[in-house]
Amino acid sequence: MSVIEVTDASFDGFVGAKYAVVDCWAPWCGPCRRIAPIIEKLAEISAGEIAVGKLLVDSNPATSRKYNITAIPTILVFKNGKLEGQIVGLNPGLTAESLKDTVLEM
Amino acid sequence: MISADVLIIGAGPAGLQAAIHAARKKVSVVLVGKTENSALAGTHIENYLGIPGKADGSEILRVGSGQAEGFGCRMLRENVISAARKDGGFEIMTENDTAIKARAVILATGISRVKLGVPGEKELFGKGVSYCAACDGNFYKGKTVAIIGGETESAASAELMTAYASKVYWVAKDIAASERMIRKAADAGAETVRASAKAIIGEDKVTALELDDGTVLSLDGVFIELGARSSADLAMDLDVMPEMDDSIKVDSSCFTGTDGIYACGDVTGKPWQLAKAVGQGAVAGTSAAEWVRNNVSE
Repeated sequence: MSVIEVTDASFDGFVGAKYAVVDCWAPWCGPCRRIAPIIEKLAEISAGEIAVGKLLVDSNPATSRKYNITAIPTILVFKNGKLEGQIVGLNPGLTAESLKDTVLEM
Repeated sequence: MISADVLIIGAGPAGLQAAIHAARKKVSVVLVGKTENSALAGTHIENYLGIPGKADGSEILRVGSGQAEGFGCRMLRENVISAARKDGGFEIMTENDTAIKARAVILATGISRVKLGVPGEKELFGKGVSYCAACDGNFYKGKTVAIIGGETESAASAELMTAYASKVYWVAKDIAASERMIRKAADAGAETVRASAKAIIGEDKVTALELDDGTVLSLDGVFIELGARSSADLAMDLDVMPEMDDSIKVDSSCFTGTDGIYACGDVTGKPWQLAKAVGQGAVAGTSAAEWVRNNVSE
């Protein structure tokens, strides 16, 4: 399962899944490029359990404003459409496996 | 344009030892960096083989710089602001706008302090506190921000943020960036405030910055940009992906896995020790010089 491109228009529908993770990023952001492989691996190991998406903040400002995102990378975690967690910046201990466990324990 | 077979970024013990070993292999070597930015500067060493008592770290760096130059290494005492792959090699730009073309690069940038350590910093991270102006500048269109730091990265960030924010303060007690970068930030409209940050203020988001002279600046964002361009950013410019803790993984020859790029010293991870930095410097300098001799045709 690959990471789905999410936009302002598709955002609410996407995060309406039982579990959803959205990586808010931009191509010129170095730390975002380092998070990307973790998000890709999360999509692989959680196929069917967690909807995994990425949102380009620059072209989707409405979502950034709605969730008060002022720093990237920001990972938004949803359960049944409700925001349950927000991970900002690079966390040296973060792995796809730890992220999956965190999400499914919510 | 300066050309080198081996370009070393970082003037700490790893970079200087790499310079000595590479230069002795009869390749041209340029080292870019400021010894005073090394973690060794201003410290005392008492666990280095053959040096009894407490050795002065700054003196080790001063003598080491002279040794590297004695073996033919050219030293540029400035910071690197960008790096890129170009024409089958690499091109590095310094804060004085000097371009250096190289066949191999050794990253010996050490570890830099990123956090400021003031009240409010941790609590307001992601709520107005940022460590990356290039990443987050776009969120501050038409707003008031402060850039904190006195080195090249803060100067570059202050200039960059004038393209987004309506008001940019550059807060630094001591400024070590080059005259050129200071002028560029000022010309772009950043206002320099010669003070240290004491606290970042706000409840759910940043609202003000308190300075050590008692001034309180009302603002929306605080960008903490200490030191020179980070080793992680430089590595990514050169297609080397750092680890999540910002260290750069190398093999026993100090090779990063990307052709022509080596790393040594604290930037490769713990232990952050002089002995390890010097040992890896010797290996990286030798490996890079051999790579140039074996892979580049005249």
